[in-house]
Amino acid sequence: MTVEAALATQVYQLYIKATPERVWEAITTPDLHAKFFHGAHVQSTYEVGTPIRSVSPDGMQVWADNVILQCDPPRLLVHSWRSLYDPELAAEPESRVSWEIEPMEGGYCKLTVIHDRLDASPKTAKGVSGGWMFILCGLKTLVETGEPLGPAPR
Amino acid sequence: MNDDLVFKALADPSRRVLLDRLFVRDGQALIELEADLDMTRFGVMKHLRVLEGAGLVVARKRGRKKLHFLNPVPIRLLHDRWIDKYREREVSALLDMKDELEGTA
Repeated sequence: MTVEAALATQVYQLYIKATPERVWEAITTPDLHAKFFHGAHVQSTYEVGTPIRSVSPDGMQVWADNVILQCDPPRLLVHSWRSLYDPELAAEPESRVSWEIEPMEGGYCKLTVIHDRLDASPKTAKGVSGGWMFILCGLKTLVETGEPLGPAPR
Repeated sequence: MNDDLVFKALADPSRRVLLDRLFVRDGQALIELEADLDMTRFGVMKHLRVLEGAGLVVARKRGRKKLHFLNPVPIRLLHDRWIDKYREREVSALLDMKDELEGTA
């Protein structure tokens, strides 16, 4: 069994002390999104079938140009995924990212991010496997404290 | 996420075997996970429940199958909270010792 096959579906789950609305806001508001997602500004109207773009901080480069597949605020967001910032990654087939937000007891919610359909995109699968962890820990810190996480790990 | 649950889940060697199996191949059904293991099906189910309770394993329905996925986030949070911190202190204590020894030499 190759490492690539092991990463074809990736599941990340964490608890965040916040309402689903607050987590949804952080994911979908450009200024907040930039604070936990490598500075990327997200642009979308969040209607199914319309684009969701990720743009570099200076607005000069499009890092990703994907499509909203499902949207049910503040509980579910599904979009396609293909990285454009690296030609090798851009050459791979698109994959899919689902954000599921579930309210829990005690003022927490459970965020589950599933990145799947990566079977034919081994470079993307390898690339995102560490990245999601850093991004989601950053999202948790941002939502819970209002402050972004420190610099990326070495 | 509760650190106690994560530490308890990791304290059992059978559960660590299950985590390692999912690390090698993620998204397995119970029947695949229990293959060639020295554990009864009931034992595997029991351990999976503990791992799920700690958030280390996430079960997802895929058609009629229930697949188990490794969730690496709790281990990362535990690492940040309990390992990084102490490693830094160890290093800075050694640097202090170096300064002290060299200063008095």
